[in-house]
Amino acid sequence: MRERNQPEDGGGSSVRRIRTNQHECHTETVPAIIETSGLVMEFPSTRALDALDLSVPPGVTGLVGANGAGKTTLISLALGLLKPTSGSITVLGLDPSVNGPELRARIGYGPERNVLPDDMRAYDFVRHFAQIKGLPRDEARSRASDSLYLVGLGEERFRALGTMSTGQRQRVKLAQAIAADPAFIVLDEPTDGLDPVQRDEMLAIIVDVNRKFGIDVMLSSHVLEEVERICDHVVALDAGRLVAHGSMAELAGASGGVEVELVDLADRPQSVDAVETALLQGGFEVRRVDFTIGVSGRDDAELFDAVTAAVATAGARIRRLGSRRRTLDDVFTADIASSARGRQS
Amino acid sequence: MNVSDPTATTHGAAQIVDRGFQRYDGKRAGVVQAVWSVAWQSIRATLGLGRPARHKIFPVLAVAIAYVPAIVFVGVAALFNDILDPSEVADYPGYYAFITAAILLFAGLVAPEVLVGDRRNGMLALYLSTPLHRGTYLVAKGLAVVLTLALVTLGPPLLVLIGYTFENAGPDGIGNWMVVLLRIFISAFAVSGALTAISMAASSITDRRAFASIGVVLLALASPAVASALVDGAELTPNWRLIDVFSMPFELVYRVFGEPGNFPELSTLNVGLVNLAWVVGGLAVVAWRYSRLVVSR
Repeated sequence: MRERNQPEDGGGSSVRRIRTNQHECHTETVPAIIETSGLVMEFPSTRALDALDLSVPPGVTGLVGANGAGKTTLISLALGLLKPTSGSITVLGLDPSVNGPELRARIGYGPERNVLPDDMRAYDFVRHFAQIKGLPRDEARSRASDSLYLVGLGEERFRALGTMSTGQRQRVKLAQAIAADPAFIVLDEPTDGLDPVQRDEMLAIIVDVNRKFGIDVMLSSHVLEEVERICDHVVALDAGRLVAHGSMAELAGASGGVEVELVDLADRPQSVDAVETALLQGGFEVRRVDFTIGVSGRDDAELFDAVTAAVATAGARIRRLGSRRRTLDDVFTADIASSARGRQS
Repeated sequence: MNVSDPTATTHGAAQIVDRGFQRYDGKRAGVVQAVWSVAWQSIRATLGLGRPARHKIFPVLAVAIAYVPAIVFVGVAALFNDILDPSEVADYPGYYAFITAAILLFAGLVAPEVLVGDRRNGMLALYLSTPLHRGTYLVAKGLAVVLTLALVTLGPPLLVLIGYTFENAGPDGIGNWMVVLLRIFISAFAVSGALTAISMAASSITDRRAFASIGVVLLALASPAVASALVDGAELTPNWRLIDVFSMPFELVYRVFGEPGNFPELSTLNVGLVNLAWVVGGLAVVAWRYSRLVVSR
């Protein structure tokens, strides 16, 4: 069993701490799961990926981006379904377009689309794909059951897929992806169509798959909150370009400045505007939504001083004041905006 | 659940361990197993095995149509062997004339079922995310179609051979028996191969299963009519008969058994070549279509 791992360099490899027993630890350099260099993928009408340089370390990686950002294309290239127009991509150290069969035997894939045949039993479906990926028949049978138990469908494994709920079908896709014991799985929108409880359960299983069994995961999602919750690393794409890339600790979770919520005072209706103006004049980055003002750009102590001073000067009244944690949503929004400005210029 | 350490005999030393999902570091088979696995799963799906009863109706019907004459002939041989030469009732190549409907229906059903569905529902991308690539995937699907068609092209003549043999009406001597067996196998796979290539080509062109099935049936029904109109009506050279895509595989069966067949004016070489051309042409269409297919997740 290996520990949660974090990248310690930005190159094509990562340093992973391996716990061999209760007392001993050693480190080893492990190759990146996915590495791209100048990766370009063009279709007749569009450039889906534009000179993508990327190194995805082991762990759980979130692949985020709006529709058309290039997530699907990157996944398809990693699986060898497409060949790049130029540049290179390696997955687990292998080139998908050269070592496709060998590589794909070590990768699990949970597609977004509802591809499950309605008439087939969950167990048969999972066993079938385990056999395709090279497991001997008996092993495929037992691992199909084990995988379905792991995702919480042990008692339902002999049900026809067409009779299963959306949540159960998503779990079957995950079971199919892990049954042949891959080194790496790619899950495309695995929580799509799930209610909040089902979503939490699915995310917990995905984390377990990585933490307990050491299977690296790439999770494509447009729900930033769930990526932030379970992923160690993030790759954010926009219009085929890499807009953010790094560990979750680097990208989100750091201080996002100070946020103050002011009271709507009937006798001083301009006070909120006055606070905002004062902060802007002070050279801070200010975001305002109704009576809530977010301030960033300096260290927190300086921000607190500036906010309280501005409030006092304007005669405003504070309902709530506190530090704000930077979320993936903030990162994504800022980076997408920056990327868009870059494209326009 | 496994009992750990089965050699433990000390009272209280045994323990029950929940094995559950674990890492696997044993042997892995290669692409050959993947091809057979996909082929077998496709055969099962086509025949309705492991599926609700409604999916079994058509395959069972087609198989029944194909085997009923064989059962009747063997029955006739058993009952009237002393007054009737069974080979005069139906010889091996002539048997196919009794089951052309079943073969045609099967050809129209199997390839569309095996190929079209995967493209429409996204299973193709899932298959191509495994050790299979487009070529090995198509080999698996082709195997599935050939073997399923062999159920109606190989099984019934084999049944006739075995039935006749038991009724002492089969080929004389083990040598002749083996020759007939070989001819049955060659004939069955020649018919299956030609129809597989044609039906897979039709199934690769459209994403609608019904259109593919209708296309195969129409081609099979229209080409004999066109050939007949050209040769008998317009009095063109008899070689125009070769465009009859449905009759030529069965004509080849006669030639395999050394008989002149229904079109003795055609040379055996031409009949063989035109069947080969249909196989190569059909598979080329399939390969071309799938090489141009953009498959992403």
